[in-house]
Amino acid sequence: MSEAAVLVRDLSLRLGSFELRNVGLSLDRGEILVLLGANGAGKSVSLEAIAGFHRLRGGRILIHGRDVTGLPPERRRVSLLFQNFGLFPHLTAAQNVAFGRRGADPSRLLARFGVAHLAAARPDNLSPGQKQRVALARALAARPDLFLFDEPFSALDAPTRDLLRGELRSFVREAGVPAIFVTHDRTDAEGLADKIAVMDKGRIIQTGEAADVLCRPADTVVAGLLGVENILPGRCLGRANGILHVAIGDAVLAARTAAAKGAVSVCIRAEDVAAMPPGREWAFSPRTWSGDWPAGGGGTAINRLMARVDAVTSLGPVYKATLDCGFPLVAYLTKREIRDLGIVFGSPVVAEIEAEAVHVLPAGATRPAAEKGG
Amino acid sequence: MAVDVSVALPRRTEKAARGRAPDRSRTLPLVFWFFGSALAAFVAIPLLGLAAMPSGAALLQVAMDASVRQAIGLSLEASFLTVALSALLGVPLAYVLARLSFPGKGFLAALLDLPLAVPHPVAGIALLSVFGRRGVLGMPAAALFGLRFWGTLAGIVAAMLFVAAPYTVSAARIGFESVDPRLEKVARTLGLGPWRTFWRVTLPLSRRSIMTGFVLTYARAISEFGAVAILAYYPMTAPVKVYELFLRFGLGEAAAMAVLLLIVCLALFILFRRLVSGGGAPAGIGR
Repeated sequence: MSEAAVLVRDLSLRLGSFELRNVGLSLDRGEILVLLGANGAGKSVSLEAIAGFHRLRGGRILIHGRDVTGLPPERRRVSLLFQNFGLFPHLTAAQNVAFGRRGADPSRLLARFGVAHLAAARPDNLSPGQKQRVALARALAARPDLFLFDEPFSALDAPTRDLLRGELRSFVREAGVPAIFVTHDRTDAEGLADKIAVMDKGRIIQTGEAADVLCRPADTVVAGLLGVENILPGRCLGRANGILHVAIGDAVLAARTAAAKGAVSVCIRAEDVAAMPPGREWAFSPRTWSGDWPAGGGGTAINRLMARVDAVTSLGPVYKATLDCGFPLVAYLTKREIRDLGIVFGSPVVAEIEAEAVHVLPAGATRPAAEKGG
Repeated sequence: MAVDVSVALPRRTEKAARGRAPDRSRTLPLVFWFFGSALAAFVAIPLLGLAAMPSGAALLQVAMDASVRQAIGLSLEASFLTVALSALLGVPLAYVLARLSFPGKGFLAALLDLPLAVPHPVAGIALLSVFGRRGVLGMPAAALFGLRFWGTLAGIVAAMLFVAAPYTVSAARIGFESVDPRLEKVARTLGLGPWRTFWRVTLPLSRRSIMTGFVLTYARAISEFGAVAILAYYPMTAPVKVYELFLRFGLGEAAAMAVLLLIVCLALFILFRRLVSGGGAPAGIGR
């Protein structure tokens, strides 16, 4: 009925006061769908429902055209991995891999993941990376049709996450098995996703190709979850030559975006904001400038705003500068930029934003920003 | 001058560190040892005193007594049956309490702990009223199955089970609760049904707690006097026999048998402890 390898349609269930409503997902072979949402949005419940641990009120789950909706978890051929990868602590690595296998040779699988020498080790003595490899070997041994990952990295530090994310990604590609990856961390979404589905309060609020969702969040909740640093209330002024003019306070921004009317939310990623001392724009930007400064706009593709530095804080590899342009604007700058441009508290700067980087959402879609973290 | 200071300074702090820090770090173990040994002595002295009481000859004489050996054998047997029944009935109950939610669960859990708080003769009286000749369970059991609880092994086991099974239930419950339910879910997705998941994941991971519960249940059962004496004075278990020897022959005879019982129990529990701790995996999920 459909070409998708995995199709979840209209999944609905109730757990106490929590309700999952009409959750729909579709994946192709070897594709990773990241299910993104704040804590309590219903991501894990959805995953467990797909695995078969909850009684549904409605909906269907098709895996390779096979309707598994009525089957118990052990007959669905899905593989679940959660925080710390869920290895059985009372079994060795080899015993873990042999646990649910369907014919595959555990020692060969361990060798394939480069951990053959750890066959006799207990999970407690393995590093996170080794655990992931053993867990993936075990998952593969059961020959699943679908991988389900429930925040497997949530207890790990950032460098380890980066490393394991890369391994996980190539593993899923190679295995050619679709995977659903649940997380509240946008770096996981950016690093893994082919598709992204964003959940909030038991519903999917946006779903699509990863690049689409990342660049064009459907509303401020999604934008907040994706970590868009600047979400500003604005008002549409009009549209000319494919450029939309939006007023934010007294300032006017040009956005290369589809038409919108009335009140809007303006989303700008902090990495898309450049800052430089006044009068030095030419040295840093080869683009033509309309001379419409400081209101910005005109026919130009670049917005320039006079601003004052409100705060500069280190985020490790980058610095976060909050600029006061009549509205607060967050920009990410490198250490060298901070030093070379003499950016300190109170110094006047020009903030530059390309019109392509200004994303306008209808304000009708605005809801209270979702809680992050946890 | 400047050189002197920079060299002398670290030396002084080093000396200070050597002088004070070890003292402070030694205080806690010393104090705890002091208080702990008081309790250890309190337990050990009466036991050693008892052990020193009978002469070797008296011990040998008691050991030769067939009725004494029979009583000890009966105690071992009845306690073993009690543990077996606790395992069969108490472990499932512990699982239900640990994993399922239902109305009245808190009340049920509290009720199951009550035998630990009830004076044991009171427990005996309660059991007698139910398992006795005219009791609601005693009468039909005798009529239907010919199973009598007064003055039989069945009665002894019933009394022991009543006072000792709660140890198995609560220990096993703690064991089951310590197993991450997500590990069970992983096992299910790896193709195991609920039963095999229980046998291969849940039970092995809570094994140590459950075994501890069995040891406690066995200990409680073999030491039970009050409830057993009321429901089934005969055939005599070891504690009842000790009591009887005390009444009929006095302290000397009773102490000799008590020491014999002590030796048997000590050997048994050393064995049990070894079984519980030996070769087991720690419970809980891997970190």
